[in-house]
Amino acid sequence: MTVSMWSQARSVARRDLIRERRRGEVLWITVPFGAIALLMFPLAIGTDARLLEQIGPGVFWVIVMLFGILISIRQAATETTAQRDALALLGLDPAAGFAGRSISAAALLFVFEVVVGAVAFVLYDIPLIGIPWLFVILPLVALGLGMLGSIAAGVVAAGHSGAGLVPFLVAPLSVPLLLAATQAFEGLRLGRPILNWVLLMVIIVLVLAVIGTLTARPLQESR
Amino acid sequence: MSPAIDTQTKRWPWPAAAIALAVPLAFVVVSPADTVQGNLVRIMYVHVPAAWLAYLAFIVTMVGSVAYLVSKGMRWDRIAAASAEVGVYFTGLTLVLGMIWGKPTWGVWWTWDARLTLTAIMFFVYLGYLALRRTSTDGRSRAQRSAVLGVLGVVMIPLVHFSVTWWRTLHQPPTIIRPDGPQIDDPLMLAALLVGVAGFTVVYAALVSKRMELARVEDAIVRAESTADLPVAGEAVTAPNLARGQGESA
Repeated sequence: MTVSMWSQARSVARRDLIRERRRGEVLWITVPFGAIALLMFPLAIGTDARLLEQIGPGVFWVIVMLFGILISIRQAATETTAQRDALALLGLDPAAGFAGRSISAAALLFVFEVVVGAVAFVLYDIPLIGIPWLFVILPLVALGLGMLGSIAAGVVAAGHSGAGLVPFLVAPLSVPLLLAATQAFEGLRLGRPILNWVLLMVIIVLVLAVIGTLTARPLQESR
Repeated sequence: MSPAIDTQTKRWPWPAAAIALAVPLAFVVVSPADTVQGNLVRIMYVHVPAAWLAYLAFIVTMVGSVAYLVSKGMRWDRIAAASAEVGVYFTGLTLVLGMIWGKPTWGVWWTWDARLTLTAIMFFVYLGYLALRRTSTDGRSRAQRSAVLGVLGVVMIPLVHFSVTWWRTLHQPPTIIRPDGPQIDDPLMLAALLVGVAGFTVVYAALVSKRMELARVEDAIVRAESTADLPVAGEAVTAPNLARGQGESA
């Protein structure tokens, strides 16, 4: 019996999310850690309410990027080479593995964005403008970071440095996403059109999807 | 016996690179000073070609990476790696020269300009590529993994190039590659810039060629070490002297 690629991807994503439900690493460790970081910024730069309102969206995105990397590398740290080999022997399509891992990482990142975004809204008094756009921007960034983390985790899986190298690889590569997201937020705040920035995010996500899918098999073979 | 390692090297790269550097240098000297910036403008003849060569190097890395993933030929991996190394060097040179130019022109060594910041980030993307290559000693595995990053990293090039158009910050917009043609009026200045690009391209080719030779020898050494004459299992065990043993018992 052959199992379709999407069904395989769903199974991998479900496995990751079940593991997260049992361990609670993102919800009970990374999310509170992100909230603490939001609290620390005003302590370092001052508590001027107008300044905090102005820099709030930028601080939020920097925290999403830096802590999102922690969520992305989670799978590199938890999935051993033996587990990956077992999945390969069971006939898991590498592209389905990539899709599944990216979807689960994106789902967790989206939860992180929503919770930390709510904390940032309260602490920094960020004006809520263009709420419908948030339902486009937040998932796109989550998906992009999730895919980037999955590719980087696959790239370093058999290296001696393991997960330690992932942040170094993901952080600079996630800058285009971060730029598009911050510029879109800035556009919303100033009442400018943001369609170009959203399109840039869509293009980045599509490029990552194509590269991740096409390179999943070579990465599996390299182990 | 381990196989002999071919250490034969090409002779053309160094003389070619020396000539390729001498000609642009002559143009830098004879080209006129700028009416606004004076002699500072001469930094441009190295800064701009270095930036272009960094783009070229990373595009070659991407092409080599794709070719490796398709053909599995180790030569492509060596091209990609050598080009990335030289590209990182040119990116570093671009940043340093930009800072030296920026201090007297803008008054600061560094400013949060989109072009500067994104160029620095591109530098770190490819430092990551080189760091990744150091994490594995298995040639095939290393080539496969770094090829993926070599393809991914190229997305930084359009971002860096168009940053001056998307964000109108301090760095000047494109001067040569523009829809309305180059914006340099003095033909000698334009010639100096274009000769600089040509010269740096030859230097790039020479450096990549030499680095590929080195990589080929490194690979051959690893191969030779893995197939070298190793002691036979049990060689360290000495056979018991049975005749002596019999004599003693008697």
